[in-house]
Amino acid sequence: MPAAIPPLAIEVTDVTVAYANGNVALHNATFALKAGTICALVGVNGSGKSTLFKAIMGFLRPAKGEVRIAGRSVEDSRKQKLVAYVPQAEEVDWTFPVSVWDVVMMGRYGHMNFLRIPRAEDKRVAEECLERVGMGGLKDRQIGELSGGQRKRVFLARALAQKGRIMLLDEPFTGVDVQTETAIIELLRALREEGHIILVSTHNLGSVPEFCDQVVLVNRTVLAFGPTEIVFTEDNLTRAFGGVLRQFHFEHSTIQEHDGRTVKLLTDDERPLVFGKDGHLEYTDRQGRENLVKKREMEVGE
Amino acid sequence: MTDLLTPFHYEYMVKSILVSGLIGGVCAFLSCFITLKGWSLMGDALSHAIVPGVSLAWMLGLPFSVGAFVAGILAALGMGWVKHNSRLREDAVIGVVFTSFFALGLLLLSLYPSNLNLRTIIFGNILAISDPDILQVLIISAVAILILGLKWRDLLLYCFDEGHARSIGLNTRFLHFLLLALLSATAVAALQTVGACLVVAMLVTPGATAYLLTDRFGRMLGIATLTGVLCGVVGAYASYFLNGSTGGCIVVLQTVIFLVALAFAPKHGLLAARAQRRAAASA
Repeated sequence: MPAAIPPLAIEVTDVTVAYANGNVALHNATFALKAGTICALVGVNGSGKSTLFKAIMGFLRPAKGEVRIAGRSVEDSRKQKLVAYVPQAEEVDWTFPVSVWDVVMMGRYGHMNFLRIPRAEDKRVAEECLERVGMGGLKDRQIGELSGGQRKRVFLARALAQKGRIMLLDEPFTGVDVQTETAIIELLRALREEGHIILVSTHNLGSVPEFCDQVVLVNRTVLAFGPTEIVFTEDNLTRAFGGVLRQFHFEHSTIQEHDGRTVKLLTDDERPLVFGKDGHLEYTDRQGRENLVKKREMEVGE
Repeated sequence: MTDLLTPFHYEYMVKSILVSGLIGGVCAFLSCFITLKGWSLMGDALSHAIVPGVSLAWMLGLPFSVGAFVAGILAALGMGWVKHNSRLREDAVIGVVFTSFFALGLLLLSLYPSNLNLRTIIFGNILAISDPDILQVLIISAVAILILGLKWRDLLLYCFDEGHARSIGLNTRFLHFLLLALLSATAVAALQTVGACLVVAMLVTPGATAYLLTDRFGRMLGIATLTGVLCGVVGAYASYFLNGSTGGCIVVLQTVIFLVALAFAPKHGLLAARAQRRAAASA
């Protein structure tokens, strides 16, 4: 028997990160995640999500506190190649002359020898990971020739090929079609079943209860963390987002009783667009729209 | 016909053609990394910043390449230090540091003349290259080729995605320094061929040309190296007939090839782009 391998976990304890200009990006952040979880990292821009990612990857040394991964220090865990990172689309140079296959192979570099010459095993894993994200047929494309969804899938395949058991995804659903979003969520669920830890930073609040079992709410510190149904409450979200969160209160809006349950709500993470019965446009506020409300009431009367 | 072979009757012509081809190839190989990393300006800066090293090496009785290399590295470290500790933007930092080094070099060379005169350093003079200097160029080229041959995949990953390189345990600080050291070393090697003013062309143009012609890094390396060697050889050869500056010939030739690629490249050329726009509009 090899020496007991400590169970997979991320433990962030009292972490404070300060930048050289004296800005404290994150203070006293504490949370912990166990194996087999998909956790959403939710907060406004500049709330410290990226800082937290960098601290977990060991790119930033905390001024106070520590991050431990599977019981080890971050430096040790990097040698074990435990953590895979899927960057935001904006961080990637899409004109770079590399193919889909080249990018996925980069995920295998950590497993290759000094010269980074792929062995049969590396090729098999890369092939398998491309198939898993449904990109098997596109491996010779230059990365700039791909659609937004395909671009995301390539980097997901690279993270899979790395065989890290902790995966950090930075805004994976921005600029992605619905089909890819569903496929990514399916894949993450499968990885959770395999015992991975997946940490996803997202603005997309609506999708969080759909696939995340844990939530970490951040605003320059960790405001709350734990199971989604306990942490993802209106109170906590208001604390995390302050006045930034766009709200649509049905009782204040122009929607009326007769619209019933036919109300349709469309949103792209901005203000929602709401249609009442028969496709009427609805407004957030009744005040100033008394005429409209009256007109609608008349229609029902007929 | 026999006229075309005359340059080969002179030993100094044969030497300078071969050395130009070698330096052209090594610089071109490295230029792929420099253009993709966005370090073209850095290449220009380092090629000027190595000048004081030449003079100091002469005073201390060292080979000129050692002094030049040390000056290049000091300039790169100086830029990094000023950028880290001030609020200046990178282009301002590069501008200040490399002109300071270059000015110091001019001053030293005018006060304490060395074996390489000012004209040679600034404009190059491959026809008069001495055998010990050829040896220095050969050693630098061999080391650069060896390192690039062994480590090009790591350097490519570093240029493409530094964050990922770090997360899989590559030492990115080392790779950064390695690329800077290679840049300084090849700039030193190219100094005598084309001179400090035009070194940057050798370190950027072939890579830029190849980048227009392909979407694959492997092919980009091949195309760049081929144009680099070809321009070095043909440029040095042609300079015999034109009776003009060798460095000028090599770089003008590189520019001509670049312009052809810019206009006619199959996918990323100006004509192809226009055809694509027209096709998209009519579809």
